[in-house]
Amino acid sequence: MKKQLLLTSLSAVLALGLAACGNSNTAENSGEASNAGKASDAGAASGEKTKITYWTGDRHDAEFVKEKVAEFNETNTDGIEVELVVKGDDFDTALDLSFQTSDSPDVIRVKENTIGTFYKKEYLAPIDEYLSDDMKAKFPEMTDLNTFDGKRYSLPNYGTTMRLIYNKDLFAKAGVTNPPATLQELVDTAKKLTAAGKADGAYGFAQNFKSPTSALGRSARVIAEMSGFGGFGYDFKTARFDFSGFKPIIEAFKQIKDDGSMLPGVESLDIDPLRAQFAEGKIGMYLSYSSEPGVYSTQFPAKIDWAAAPAPTIDGKVKGASGFLGGQWLALSSKSKHKDAAWKFMEYMYSDQMLTSYQEKGFGISMVPSISATAKTPEVNGIEGFLPNQYDGVWPVYPSVAPEGMKSDDAFFKYMLNGGDLDATISDLNKRYNAALDDAIKNDGLKAEPDPSFDPAALAGKFAK
Amino acid sequence: MNKSKNAAFAYSFLLPSALLTLVLGIYPIAWAFRYMFYNYKGYGTARFIGLDNFSRILRDAEFWNSVVNTFVYAGGKLLLSIPLSLLLAAILNRKIRGRQLLRAVFFMPTVISTAVMAVVFFTIFNSYNGILNQFLIKFNISSSGIDWLGPKHAMLTVILVAVWGAVGNYMLLFLAGLQNIPEDVYESSSLDGANKIQQFRFITLPMLGPVLQMVIMLAIINALKGYESIMVLTEGGPAGKTEVMFLYLYKLFFPVGGSAASTQVQEFGYGSAVAFMSAVIVGMISLIYFYASRRMNRID
Repeated sequence: MKKQLLLTSLSAVLALGLAACGNSNTAENSGEASNAGKASDAGAASGEKTKITYWTGDRHDAEFVKEKVAEFNETNTDGIEVELVVKGDDFDTALDLSFQTSDSPDVIRVKENTIGTFYKKEYLAPIDEYLSDDMKAKFPEMTDLNTFDGKRYSLPNYGTTMRLIYNKDLFAKAGVTNPPATLQELVDTAKKLTAAGKADGAYGFAQNFKSPTSALGRSARVIAEMSGFGGFGYDFKTARFDFSGFKPIIEAFKQIKDDGSMLPGVESLDIDPLRAQFAEGKIGMYLSYSSEPGVYSTQFPAKIDWAAAPAPTIDGKVKGASGFLGGQWLALSSKSKHKDAAWKFMEYMYSDQMLTSYQEKGFGISMVPSISATAKTPEVNGIEGFLPNQYDGVWPVYPSVAPEGMKSDDAFFKYMLNGGDLDATISDLNKRYNAALDDAIKNDGLKAEPDPSFDPAALAGKFAK
Repeated sequence: MNKSKNAAFAYSFLLPSALLTLVLGIYPIAWAFRYMFYNYKGYGTARFIGLDNFSRILRDAEFWNSVVNTFVYAGGKLLLSIPLSLLLAAILNRKIRGRQLLRAVFFMPTVISTAVMAVVFFTIFNSYNGILNQFLIKFNISSSGIDWLGPKHAMLTVILVAVWGAVGNYMLLFLAGLQNIPEDVYESSSLDGANKIQQFRFITLPMLGPVLQMVIMLAIINALKGYESIMVLTEGGPAGKTEVMFLYLYKLFFPVGGSAASTQVQEFGYGSAVAFMSAVIVGMISLIYFYASRRMNRID
């Protein structure tokens, strides 16, 4: 009996303790909520820090951003303390969970292929009220890339170009002077590089097929776009999916694999292990984004001489534009309780000095005209090949649909491994993706209007001649 | 203390866990139950579509491929891990030197995070610079190494990793069962002339029946639901060769593939229907096993 009473008392004390903790949090939270928007001032006045979080999935600039966040924390006079959270490939998933658990960040790194989804999910707050006229003029407004339904949700910083990255040492050893400009040259060069390097464990070509979506999203996409086809199989002229442009690309990749010119084990290769192998000189060529120079200067210091060149096209003729991805960078969380403080941090991140540093340190290529005009060429080795050229251009936003059955990247990779009838695969993809497109137009309000005058080649040449 | 006070006292202790179960267990299930009749992408309005998600499951070759892979994976894992853990338990139940240390060593994988374990195994098995291939090449066992995570061997590799992670746990449960078998049963059988193999066959196995039934049950459910190490090692590839049911389900909710994955759409509605179907499959297999193994629960 005594024991039971003792246990009951103990439970009650514990429960009260927990409740007390809960209450204190609630009080704090409600205080924060009621002071939303003025928190930074209140924090500064009371001597307490206003804590905000910034989530990014970028790793190539992580050290630089960490340094700049620390600098902001030390120098800002508003009592704001920013916690930087660098996520990996699980960024989108973690963000979804954070919004479901009310533990969402205040400032979010958004990209050209996430901002639309985050907007629809109501994760983002419009920033128009914070923008001065100068800022409005300085940062280009881009529909569906930073502006939705007339409201701005982000501002551009840098854009990402896509290139063929190649190992100059291995090229020299194989006696190859120029990077490939056609798919046939890509296949032949991969073969020559493998012949020259195989004894030392080096192979001509590699792709990170642990995730076919990631692998083809950085390789087949840019080849298709340079050749005049929509990078995700969508044709803006007809407003229909048509994957037939991918046929020669996937066939070339399969040929490289069948020739034995592909790094063994690409089936389970992730992008970072691929980069690590390239830095060691074990890979002759691969296709990826302009974040690579940053990677090879900090994350995996390259032991080889390397460079970047425009991606090859199907037949050597450039009929489209190499996607220049960007138009947005940081966004304000709709659930932030410290929007003013978060905006002050964003203002700091969007300062001329910061944007200039971004370009000059080689973390990205500025998409802000005033910065592009004044910033020096980046200091980072290898960035020259990624600077905008006459082929780069911003493609319209591709519609996202949910087809039944296998996704296009998985279907193409399956063909690369097992062979089969590629025409039948493409016909099946077209049928399923267009069915999903029709469904999304009919039921989800997706807008997809044909544009017979759409000319992919006209997208190019706006950032450099 | 009268009965009603006793009951109130018991309920007060049950309340916290009941609340947690309600919030973390029942609510998500109810949520999924609702959305399996909807087309819902995680934003906007959920659209009621009746049984369309279920008819889609019936024609979803990828899902059924993942079901077949799940059976292969679970079957392989069970066939290797149960006999191996029983054997280890029988050996470590004997008075051999260092048995405590060995028990701890074999149990160690259970306390290591599955994801961390899988990353370590990735460095061992990866084809281009994996430790295992370097060993095979160095000692001329293979000239160019083996593509452990390639189309031919990926399933075997993920099964081996799963067995490594599971054996210690089941071994410990078997050990607990073995230690409950009275010593005098063995002594009297020895007097009757039974050898070690006969003792194992006619005393150990029958008396271990209830534990064996429970361990196999847990192993079946764990194997059918397992996907974490596969996610790290192969992400279900190459070309769906190691795509198991719960990994397929996970990808419907959270598409993988880094930044390019965002061109894909989250399918909360269809994912909920697949989750229900997967739960039905796991539940049915567990029930069938439970019915088929009911004799194991009796110690004659």
